[in-house]
Amino acid sequence: MILVNKDTKVVVQGITGKMGQTHTKRMLDYGTQIVAGVTPGRGGQSVHGIPVFDTVSEAVEKTGANCSVVFVPPYLACDAGFEAVNAGVSLLVVITEGIPPNDTSKLVNYANMHEVTFIGPNCPGVVSPGHSLIGIMPGSIFKEGRVGMVSKSGTLTYEIALALSEANLGQSTCVGVGGDPVKGIEYQPVLNLFENDSNTDVIVLIGEIGGNAEEKAANFIKEHIKKPVVGFIAGQTAPPGKRMGHAGAIISQGSGTAQSKIEAFNKAGIKVAKTPTQVAKLVAELIKQPIRK
Amino acid sequence: MNLYEFEAKTIFAQFGIPVPPSKLVNNPKDLSKVFLGYPLTLKCQVLTGGRGKAGGIKFANSFVEAQKLTQDLLNLEIKGCKTMSVLVEPKLSITHEYYLSVTLDRELGVPVFIATKDGGVEVESAKNVVKLPITYPYSAFLSRLLAYKIGLRGEVLNKFANIADRLYKLFIERDLDLAEINPLVEIEGNELLALDGKIVVNDDSLMRQPYFQGWLESHLVDLPPVERQAKLHGVNLVELDGDIGILCNGAGLTMATMDMVAEFGGKPANFLDAGGGSDQAKTLAALELVNQNPKVKVILLNILGGITACDDVANALVDFVKMHKNVKLVVRLRGNNQDKAKEILSNYNVKLIPDLEEAVKEAVKLAS
Repeated sequence: MILVNKDTKVVVQGITGKMGQTHTKRMLDYGTQIVAGVTPGRGGQSVHGIPVFDTVSEAVEKTGANCSVVFVPPYLACDAGFEAVNAGVSLLVVITEGIPPNDTSKLVNYANMHEVTFIGPNCPGVVSPGHSLIGIMPGSIFKEGRVGMVSKSGTLTYEIALALSEANLGQSTCVGVGGDPVKGIEYQPVLNLFENDSNTDVIVLIGEIGGNAEEKAANFIKEHIKKPVVGFIAGQTAPPGKRMGHAGAIISQGSGTAQSKIEAFNKAGIKVAKTPTQVAKLVAELIKQPIRK
Repeated sequence: MNLYEFEAKTIFAQFGIPVPPSKLVNNPKDLSKVFLGYPLTLKCQVLTGGRGKAGGIKFANSFVEAQKLTQDLLNLEIKGCKTMSVLVEPKLSITHEYYLSVTLDRELGVPVFIATKDGGVEVESAKNVVKLPITYPYSAFLSRLLAYKIGLRGEVLNKFANIADRLYKLFIERDLDLAEINPLVEIEGNELLALDGKIVVNDDSLMRQPYFQGWLESHLVDLPPVERQAKLHGVNLVELDGDIGILCNGAGLTMATMDMVAEFGGKPANFLDAGGGSDQAKTLAALELVNQNPKVKVILLNILGGITACDDVANALVDFVKMHKNVKLVVRLRGNNQDKAKEILSNYNVKLIPDLEEAVKEAVKLAS
C-alpha cells in the first residue's frame, strides 16, 4: 500500500461546506483517521465530532495532521492548498474541479519546492482499501488486495475497481491523479511507489485522450517497472478538437489520441484491455505469474 | 471562450500593446463615418480560423469599393460561422512580421512564451520558433530574454520585449488560455503593432472575471445549437453521428461507455457527461438534451454513483418516462442509494441492467 494508510492523519479543508460535511462523514465511516477540519471563522465548532480550526497551521499543531484534503470552491482552492503546504503537511489532496489552470500551476510549483506530494486537482482522491480513504470514492466498491491502480478518471476508476473486486481481485491502493491538464502528481511517481511496494503485485494504469502523460508513463514502465501492468485508455471514439468533459481530455492538432497511447502501451509490453471487465480478466491472468521480465 | 479580433485588440490596447487605429462596421453606410484614409483593410469578424484563406480579408482603394466589399464580407460565412461585423483599418506598409504568444504548456505545467522572427504564417509551419517557459516568479527580464533568443538586437529588442511583458501580464490578469499576436508587425519608422490578435479566455475562470460577465452566450456561435444549450446548462455534451444516445456521470466513464458501444457494434450519438453530483433537475435536463437528437433510437444511461445519488437519477427517469412514453431506455444504475432507485423505478417500465457489458449489448440490440 502506498501514500495513505491507517496512520495518515487527515485535516479536511472546507469541512463545514456541503461537500466537506458529506464526505467527512463517509470517510469517518470508512475508518479514515480524520483529526481536524478547517474553515476560516468557524474555529471552535465541530463537524461530526471533529474539531474545526480557523487555520491549517493550528490544526496541524494541535492534532498532528500530516495530510490535507481540500473541498474548497474553485477560486479559493489554490489558496487553501498554499496554506496546507505552508502548515507542513506532507500529502495534499485537492478534490475541487474547475480551478483555473494558472492557479494550479503556481500551487504545483509551491508544493514541489516544499517536497509535498500533491494529488489532483479535479480528482477523486486516494484509497488504500480496508485502511484509509481520502476523497470522494465510494468505499463499498473497493476491496483489500494486491492490485495497484492509478487513473486520471473518477467514475471510470470506480467501474474498474468494481470489476476487479467482483472478480475477487482486491486493491492495495487506488490513486486518482485527476483530469486537469496541469496537475500535481503524474503517473510516474505513483508507478515507482507501486514498484517498490511489497503489497502490490500487478499495476492497472487507466488513461484517457489528451496530452502525452500515458506515452511518458509507457516509456517509464519500459525502463523502470518490472511488475506487470494492465492498461486501459478511454476515448477511442472521441472526435478531435472537442473537450470531452475533463479539461485535459482533448485531442489537439493530432496529438493525444487513444491510438497513440495504446501503441505506446503495446510497445512497452503493457497489456491493453478493451472493457473494464477485460481489465479484471487480464489482471487475473497476470497475478498467477507476477514477474514479467 | 474565443474572442473576436476586435475584442482582442481592444484588450491589447487596455494593456498598452500598440494596435492600428480601427473602426467596427456593421453596415456599409457606416463607412461614411470612417476617416482612416485609403487604401483600407477590411476584415470580417468571425470566431473561426482560416479567415484569410477563405477570402475574409479585403483591401479597398476607394469609398465605393469599400462599400461593396464590406457588404460582401458581411454576407460571408466561414466554416458555418457567420460574419459578425467588419473591422476597418488603414492598410499599413509592413517591413517585417513576427509571431508572439503566451499559453499554458500542459506538459511543463507553466505558461510559455512562443515567438519567432519569421512570423506571418501559422506557427505550426513557422521556422526558428522559440519556446520559453515562464518560471515563477515572473520578472520582465524573461521578455527581454525572449526577444534576444529570437535574434533581436538594438532598439527593436526593447520594443518587442515590452510588448511580450504586457502580453504576459494580460494573460495572467484576464485568466487566458491563449494570448496571441500573429502577426506582430514592424512598420516604417520601426514601430511595432499587433496587426491581428487571438484571445482564448479560460472557461473555468469566467466567473471571476468581471470584464467578461455575460459574454459567454454570444461567444458560443462556433458550437452546434445543442452543444451550446448543454454548455449553458453546465453539462458537457459533444454530438457524434451514431444512433445510441449516451448519458453518464464522469468524463472517463462516459468515454469508456462510448468506446464499449462501438466495441459491441453500435454507434454512439453523443458524449454526455452530466458531471458528479447531478441532481434530479440536471439529470432530467440532460436526458432531454440527448433526446433532442432525432437520430437517437435508444438512450443508454450509465451511472455509477459516487457523489451522484441513484435515487435522484431514478426520479429524473420517472419524470422523463412520463413525458416520453415511446423512448427506448437502457438503464444501468449502481452505487449510492441503488436499492432506493430500484424501488422507485419498479412501478415504471424501465429496464435496469446492473452489468455494464450486458447493458451496452442490450442498447446496441435495441438500436439495430
